[in-house]
Amino acid sequence: MSPEMTPKERVLKFLKGEKVDRPPIFSGMGNVIKPVLDKYGIVFSRVHRDSELMARAAAGMYREFGYECAVVPFDLGVEAEALGAKMNFYDEVEGLLYPTVSEKSVKDVNDVGIPGDLEHAGRIPVVTGAIKALRRELGDKVAIGTYLLGPFTLAGQVKELDELFEESFLEPEKTNRLLERLSDFIVRVSRIYRDAGADYITLREMGGTSDVMSPKSFRSLIKPHLIRILSEMSRPSILHICGDTNSIITDMAECGADAISVDQKNCMADTRQKLGAGAIILGNFDPIKVLHKGEMQDVGPAVLDSLKGGASAVWPGCDLWPEVPKENMEALINALKGAKPEPARKVS
Amino acid sequence: MKLVQIAGWLGSGKTTLIIALSRALSLKGSRVAILVNEVGAIPVDGKVIQEYGLTVKDIGGGCICCQVAGNLMKTLQLLSEGPKPEIVIIEPTGIAVPSSIRATILSWGRKQDVSMGPTIVLFDTTREEKLLTYESLKRLVSTQLKDADIIALSKVDMASAEAIARAGESVRLINPGARIVHLSTTRGDGFESLVQATEKITVQV
Repeated sequence: MSPEMTPKERVLKFLKGEKVDRPPIFSGMGNVIKPVLDKYGIVFSRVHRDSELMARAAAGMYREFGYECAVVPFDLGVEAEALGAKMNFYDEVEGLLYPTVSEKSVKDVNDVGIPGDLEHAGRIPVVTGAIKALRRELGDKVAIGTYLLGPFTLAGQVKELDELFEESFLEPEKTNRLLERLSDFIVRVSRIYRDAGADYITLREMGGTSDVMSPKSFRSLIKPHLIRILSEMSRPSILHICGDTNSIITDMAECGADAISVDQKNCMADTRQKLGAGAIILGNFDPIKVLHKGEMQDVGPAVLDSLKGGASAVWPGCDLWPEVPKENMEALINALKGAKPEPARKVS
Repeated sequence: MKLVQIAGWLGSGKTTLIIALSRALSLKGSRVAILVNEVGAIPVDGKVIQEYGLTVKDIGGGCICCQVAGNLMKTLQLLSEGPKPEIVIIEPTGIAVPSSIRATILSWGRKQDVSMGPTIVLFDTTREEKLLTYESLKRLVSTQLKDADIIALSKVDMASAEAIARAGESVRLINPGARIVHLSTTRGDGFESLVQATEKITVQV
């Protein structure tokens, strides 16, 4: 095995379950931090609407720190905006605030109008432009990732959240029709991103967490749509759900992604025991407490703990909050220097 | 800054209570800020905001995620850097888990000048049966009630005495330690006690 595996080779071989020289250090979720933005003179509120800035910021995570991926976009509103929701980008705020949906566009399934010219809807062309730019500049060295919201989480972005939940409990058939339509949309967007050059896609279904949705409801309402999306999306793919996931972990594995991603609330020992040694399990590393709020000297041990605990790679359990200190990011990258080869693992 | 959460399921009367509470606290001389998931979700018009000196900020809707937690922390920091409000009322979405929000605030607030006021969870007495019958809905509603310091049985002016008694028994079983207040924001029942609780109660965590 070559000791000079590129980050791209390492990440893509790893996601295919092939043997790699060491666990990769990467993510499939939002990861851009202030030291990169400051160095390149990029204003956070602008980075979400400009392909060139988006690509430069994402590439900066590799160029400045050696992070083994370049992932776009950074916020969770791209799909909602393409479906007619209005966004607040906080242009007037000097500090870092993620864009949020300011006006929702959907009351019921009939309001979900998927634009015929989806490639040019909302900020989808911004993301595809950034993916293409990253491909041109770093495509031979770094795996390029992107993400899409799962259908239930996306429903919560385009429809009033309280109404969605109440409807899903009291009139699940209505919600099912909405999720079916949103799943059509998600599959189509995933293909646009893949055609633009994305190497891997993370499907983020945060709304499926057992913190708010019972495992029974997850199985009956959300899981069938995830299975369908993941079977129609090209691979490699990752399914991410945060919060309490232990009671649905086998369901997550059955959805058909190449890897599953969880956050620090997951009991990894239980997850590993249930899914077996071969499963690719990502996350279980706290990006807020450890990476953002923690001390530099604690980052490396936390990384090693998550690997010893059963995580297959170094992958923060959620988006990186942009105020992660530079030295903590460096400690994350340096944590695996001298690590031993990683045996192949694959979700069965 | 004292942080007070007002949680509760859809239609339980959170918004009405928050507006009334903010006005009352402002009239008593407190500087009040309101954090909501979406600004549009709370119908506080510009005139009211100006008249009562309120600050209204949104922290982002959608499902639970580090971005929402980060936006909450950042918004609190920005508030603390300006003319600092004495009381910050946080209205999470109907699906939010108050203990998670409290944990997020504490992770940020240790180095800041913040204290935790009570978590007030509203329970709609006119919908007691629906809220606690459907398994999935009951799961969420119960989680919120368990996190409450004060449970406000809301809309008591619209419910029968039997329904109010039944609601009281149900929530008492879920959270025996919480103080229970019978609330009608429109008629005024229980409102003053919530104003006082917001001002005076500081929760040790």
